[in-house]
Amino acid sequence: MRPDDRKYAPTHEWVKIDGDTMVIGITDFAVQELSNGNDSDLVYCDLPEVGRILDKGETFGEIESVKAVSDLNTPVAGEIIEINSSIEEHLEILSTDPWNNGWMIRIKPTSKSLDGLMSAEDYEKHLAAAH
Amino acid sequence: METWRLITTWGASPAFNMGLDEALLGNSQAPTTLRLYSWSPDTLSLGYFQRFADVRGTEVAGSVVRRITGGGAIHHTGELTFSIVADAGHRLYAGPISASYRRVHHVVAAALAEHGVQAELRGARALTSDREDTGMCFHHSTELDLVWDGRKGVGSAQRRKSGRVLHHGSIKLHSSELEGDIAVADPSGSQLSEQQLGGTLRTTLGRILGVRLESDAPTAEERARAHELGSRYLDPAFVRRR
Repeated sequence: MRPDDRKYAPTHEWVKIDGDTMVIGITDFAVQELSNGNDSDLVYCDLPEVGRILDKGETFGEIESVKAVSDLNTPVAGEIIEINSSIEEHLEILSTDPWNNGWMIRIKPTSKSLDGLMSAEDYEKHLAAAH
Repeated sequence: METWRLITTWGASPAFNMGLDEALLGNSQAPTTLRLYSWSPDTLSLGYFQRFADVRGTEVAGSVVRRITGGGAIHHTGELTFSIVADAGHRLYAGPISASYRRVHHVVAAALAEHGVQAELRGARALTSDREDTGMCFHHSTELDLVWDGRKGVGSAQRRKSGRVLHHGSIKLHSSELEGDIAVADPSGSQLSEQQLGGTLRTTLGRILGVRLESDAPTAEERARAHELGSRYLDPAFVRRR
């Protein structure tokens, strides 16, 4: 079972409320799809500048695995107040700990609402139905 | 039977080639599309994340662009270039990226076999075409690459964006001065054209995947969008962004 302290997007990002901020990352499923289980298959990750304003669903970064470049999209709107730049140099963190040390951006959200996003249980069902 | 669109643009400009692929990727209403194309002038394309300084020979090619797909640089000369754009949930692309490569490469290998080329996935074997310091796609291999004669012969890369997938493929007919000692489909240089191999790829794909390919042209909107997007690919700020 995936962590139930956060919400999930169908595009395999997660968002977790942390006080007045929200932290965003990608799920273990996304990492598995990108890397095929090999840490070394993740090659590059570009994260945005602090201060950028994001709309819900907007692309905030890009990640390259061996053979594919994929967008990173935010499940919620807000202003980026911190990025986890350590993962740009240590992409293996995404494989070993996508839920905590593998967080990507922290935002000051436009709204506290997480409507439309899935619980961990619903995300599991979504994965089971789609794959 | 599923119907795909087939677009052929032989000898198109590098800006238009790249702009059209991005326009197709961004058109969520577009049917699944196979493009067959070549380049004029010959063009060196860098992978999306590559450092410009890490690629040798940028002064040799007639033009230099940066792709939106990943991987290494490719000198687009003496090759059939193709792209397949579809929804990420399409049966060709669903699931792990590695699985999508296996499906596409199964079709490409079958097409090459029609011309007597026995291409296989590299697997764990070592290739004589691998090099450490050229930055070229054909000098760097992974287990999913198509190889023959102990060398890499097909370059592949993908871009996944907003629920859509663009798969780029380059099948070498002849080697270039930037891509020495790679596998080529027509070593004699006189037996096979891009158009012939493209025709074989079309029929083979249709047979294996059970789809009908209908020749068509980009829509007016796609063409306009291709020209609009295309200029970025030649912009030094983009080409040299890393």
